[in-house]
Amino acid sequence: MKEESDKRKGMKFLGILDIQNTPCARESILNGAGGSVVAGLVHFLATSRVKRSFDVGVAGFMLSTLGSWLYCRYDNAKLRVQQKVIQDGIKNKVIYEGTTLDPTRKTRGDA
Amino acid sequence: MAHPSQLGFQDAASPVMEELLHFHDHALMIVFLISTLVLYIIVAMVSTKLTNKYILDSQEIEIVWTVLPAVILVLIALPSLRILYLMDEINDPHLTIKAMGHQWYWSYEYTDYEDLGFDSYMIPTKDLTPGQFRLLEADFRMVVPMESPIRVLVSAEDVLHSWAVPSLGVKMDGVPGRLNQTAFIASRPGVFYGQCSEICGANHSFMPIVVEAVPLEHFEFWSSVLLEMATMEEVTLMMDEDMC
Repeated sequence: MKEESDKRKGMKFLGILDIQNTPCARESILNGAGGSVVAGLVHFLATSRVKRSFDVGVAGFMLSTLGSWLYCRYDNAKLRVQQKVIQDGIKNKVIYEGTTLDPTRKTRGDA
Repeated sequence: MAHPSQLGFQDAASPVMEELLHFHDHALMIVFLISTLVLYIIVAMVSTKLTNKYILDSQEIEIVWTVLPAVILVLIALPSLRILYLMDEINDPHLTIKAMGHQWYWSYEYTDYEDLGFDSYMIPTKDLTPGQFRLLEADFRMVVPMESPIRVLVSAEDVLHSWAVPSLGVKMDGVPGRLNQTAFIASRPGVFYGQCSEICGANHSFMPIVVEAVPLEHFEFWSSVLLEMATMEEVTLMMDEDMC
């Protein structure tokens, strides 16, 4: 029980966002961190301005995290809809198989 | 049910609550990003040695901080409106239950097929058995079949009450003289707790709601047992009257 509760506690970013247990959160934060480093580094190499490169890094973090989050959540939502359709289809097949309401039943012309 | 010092939502027990959870995560991530940005700007403003009192006409940043919030609001509004309309769908319920609020208990009526009704009082703390939850347990639970759309008609007999079960994503005010309708589907079996959510007097905190979702066969067995108990009570009352 204690191990389960420890596992489920997770890490809260800024004390509010539970990264471990929220789908897509961990990937988005990691992608954001990567994007931030790349953006800041590229800007610094191009301009040699440290402070401005930090600002660009932060902006890169925002945009990479947001973009990665939206993409992952959209995929997740599509998957959930598909899962729901499959679940309903399995349930309906069990209920309606062999009856007149079975959508896979071939209708006879003389019926 | 909720656990001590809980900050987040309870685990979802209905499809609507799952959608609400996902939307909440989405909105929270956006809030988190904005908070990080604001925190960074505050630190930058406080730590800079640069001062310029005459910054004028910076068109680029003006455009950015006008367009970006509008885009963010659209990103929040679209899923929000989707789930708002999703919550209002009532898809051919299999069962209708009337939940009536009283001072200070709930009564439930299952009148679709037979006349079944009972009151649901909180179990006082001194009467709890080990393992039961303080201020949440009730003597009679509202039992519903799982994976079936259930319609709940909420009203009240005296003052305002509110029938709420967080894990099902349901909250509906009980107004005297008015029938409010809500619906849910319990996607998994279990016991789901809620509490009255509209101030209704001295014992407002002591009229919990307990919903028990069970497989259909168990629900049929439970309802037949309750109907038998009600019939036997009626027969006993009639016999007592005859004897008097």
